[in-house]
Amino acid sequence: MGLLDIKDISLAFGGIQALDRVSLSVEPGELYAIIGPNGAGKTSLLNCISGFYTPDRGTILFEGRGFSRERPDQIAKLGIARTFQNVELFSHMNVIDNMLLGRHHHYKSGFFKNAILGYRAEEENRHRLKVEEVIDFLEMEQWRKHLVGSLPYGVQKRVELGRALAQEPKLLLLDEPMAGMNQEETEDIARFILDVHEELGTTIVMIEHDMDVVMDISERVCVLDFGKKIAEGSPREVQKDSKVQKAYLGEDYETVMRGAGNP
Amino acid sequence: MKEDTIPRIFLGKVKKYGDCVALRDKDFGVWQEISWNEYCRHVRHCCLGLMELGLSRGDHVSIFGENEPEWLYADLAVQSAGGVAVGVYPTNPAKEACYVIGHSDSIFVVCDNQEQVDKVLEVKEELPLLRKIIVTDMKGLRHYTDPMIMPFGSVEDIGRKVEENDPEKYYRTMDKLKSEDVAIMVYTSGTTGPPKGAMLSHDNVVQFLKAQSQVLPQYDTDEIVSYLPLCHVAERMMSVFFPLNSGATVNFAESVETVTMDMREILPTFYLAVPRIWEKMMASIIIKMKDATWIKRKMYEICSPIGERMADARLSGGPIPFSLKLMYGLGYLGLFRHLRKELGLLRARVAVSGAAPIAPEVLKFFHSLGVPVLEGWGMTEETGIGTCNVLEDVKLGTVGKPIPGVELKIAEDGEILLKCNHVFVGYWKDPEATAKTVQDGWLYTGDVGELDEEGRLKITDRKKEIIITSGGKNIAPSEIENHLKCSPYINEAIVIGDGRKFLSALIQIEYDNVAKWAQEHSIAYTTFKSLAQNQQVNEMIKQEVHEANKDFAQVETIKKFRLLDKELDHDDDELTATLKLRRKTVYKKFGDIIEEMYGSKRDK
Repeated sequence: MGLLDIKDISLAFGGIQALDRVSLSVEPGELYAIIGPNGAGKTSLLNCISGFYTPDRGTILFEGRGFSRERPDQIAKLGIARTFQNVELFSHMNVIDNMLLGRHHHYKSGFFKNAILGYRAEEENRHRLKVEEVIDFLEMEQWRKHLVGSLPYGVQKRVELGRALAQEPKLLLLDEPMAGMNQEETEDIARFILDVHEELGTTIVMIEHDMDVVMDISERVCVLDFGKKIAEGSPREVQKDSKVQKAYLGEDYETVMRGAGNP
Repeated sequence: MKEDTIPRIFLGKVKKYGDCVALRDKDFGVWQEISWNEYCRHVRHCCLGLMELGLSRGDHVSIFGENEPEWLYADLAVQSAGGVAVGVYPTNPAKEACYVIGHSDSIFVVCDNQEQVDKVLEVKEELPLLRKIIVTDMKGLRHYTDPMIMPFGSVEDIGRKVEENDPEKYYRTMDKLKSEDVAIMVYTSGTTGPPKGAMLSHDNVVQFLKAQSQVLPQYDTDEIVSYLPLCHVAERMMSVFFPLNSGATVNFAESVETVTMDMREILPTFYLAVPRIWEKMMASIIIKMKDATWIKRKMYEICSPIGERMADARLSGGPIPFSLKLMYGLGYLGLFRHLRKELGLLRARVAVSGAAPIAPEVLKFFHSLGVPVLEGWGMTEETGIGTCNVLEDVKLGTVGKPIPGVELKIAEDGEILLKCNHVFVGYWKDPEATAKTVQDGWLYTGDVGELDEEGRLKITDRKKEIIITSGGKNIAPSEIENHLKCSPYINEAIVIGDGRKFLSALIQIEYDNVAKWAQEHSIAYTTFKSLAQNQQVNEMIKQEVHEANKDFAQVETIKKFRLLDKELDHDDDELTATLKLRRKTVYKKFGDIIEEMYGSKRDK
């Protein structure tokens, strides 16, 4: 049994079947990538895991424990952190504050103790230290006190990754971490993802369109098409799979190829 | 104990200052303090650890990384063991790093992170003598299987165990050092040909420190920010040897990108920068003032002439009228204090510019802010400083009088010759070059200059770089280039005219500032290239060149120029690690553009 076991989940929006009996299992310490054409259901799957959507049927097991109706904040508490396809940060707050928010569920003392009994200092120092460790890890020293809204897009994505890491998750869900980045930023983020995976040993499930990156860094790849899982395996195996080629190049791929050969 | 070697001076300071702060390193956003005792413990353990791994007297160890306390630990540890510490520029690409590590016969290399380790691994086959790669930050290296890789902490652990069994071993080893032993090797930047390794002995450094403490005295209350590459002799002196002699505190910037912010937090009292940094600071103030609110702009307009008058009055050495003092005081409250804080120079007691010539205009700008920037001149081959302006006696445009113990002579062809008791031991594995550089005790500096009636030295240029026009006129390009670089829109200028009828220049624009200018004038651009090719930008730079030309005689003016459509880069071999121009490469690379300026055929 893996760290994350998804069994037969389905999700429909009206007549559209976003996920159709998808099952997969992610082992502890794995770097697992989900790929597929637009509208294949990748983000829906991630949203089901992180509690934004509730699947119509099927079960999700995290560390052997099933959950289905938990709220996203309860799921975060279990040790699952995520980033979003379009950056979802508080743009008028600085980098540190945004990352401290990732520590929210680690705060032990409530309003009364903090505000009135003055437990704040000790606890806040502890959380600040963790945030600083992440800043050091992701090399963000120069932006510490900058407002997030004023930072370049590539850096904002890094801050979001930082916020997820500040949660000290067991499972990290990344929704297109490289989207909209230039070559250099892509390489930076790829290196950071590898560092997270190797140094911190965090299990990572990543959706990504940049095939070079996926093939380069992930250990196992799962391919979705129209809500169905059509392939799973090592990057090399998946690349060779005819169903995958069809999904990416279109249904007519073979006929076209044949047509080109015999006029 | 006679303080005749570097480790002995160090131990003297450890004894004197004990638990006082020696170094500060910013970690997790907080300045972590390291006392002299801790500093010493790290050096001892590292030294014993390296010896256990096979370091013996006379062996070389390369240190390849950004400035951090471990750099200093390794440096002093190697020297204590009787080895020679060699710095490698962290910006060096693999090929150049390989040259230095290989040429110096290094048996260990100390790297700061994965980036440098990757470079070393890339050229490992060409380094047969290399035994270990010691790494201070193991991030990203957990899965490297190369047996040569070893964390810095493990070396110290080995050393600690040795010390537990034999607490006196470090002191015994260190006592064997002789003052004439080579302590460090500094590779010259190599604007022409491959870099040469200048060997400096313990005695060189000790003698030099004696002279330095008379002209640029440093105290144990001084704060230093270490940020220039430590492999350069100037920063090595500044961050390692001066503080060993004075007890000052060295602060390490968090990363290269945060230096400005760290400067503002530390407000160093003793500060060294190269001309490029002074020019950038000045440009940043000028540009920011253009963007500032109306009231701030007015304040700047009113106060800066007062600052200039004050600078003139102070530099002339005469009495300063009370009214000027009063106005300057108000200007200080209203403007200068804030600008100095912004630059991190609020407390700068001594500020030095060195390593390359600087335009007097830039120096005057800082004098007007109340930061007396002292220009010095020196060479790696004589351990750092040869002449320097001193606080009480500054003359802009000169590099000051020789420091005590230094004797100068101008040769017939104008070359500056220097004699002192801290002239280097020689170039490593290159006795021929050594013999050429030191003749009859005189060091041939390769710089051309003259002495004024009061004995101050004025540098004309590097001997090899003097331009002789087809009209037979000798011209020093660097003076004109520095003048051009005073413009906030010009980053680099290369004057051409050797054997030509007139002078021309290749100019690299200062991307950030010109981009800003373009936005203000609603000029569309996409990249550096499109900006450099823009007609309006060219017109604007033409104006700047025209301005600069006004200060020169007719033959020395720039008649034509072209903007470079790429930024000069160390990686492309156009600049050295210290960002000095490699003229030959530039001439060759941009040969077409140069020929085009002079017409397709060479003007005769």
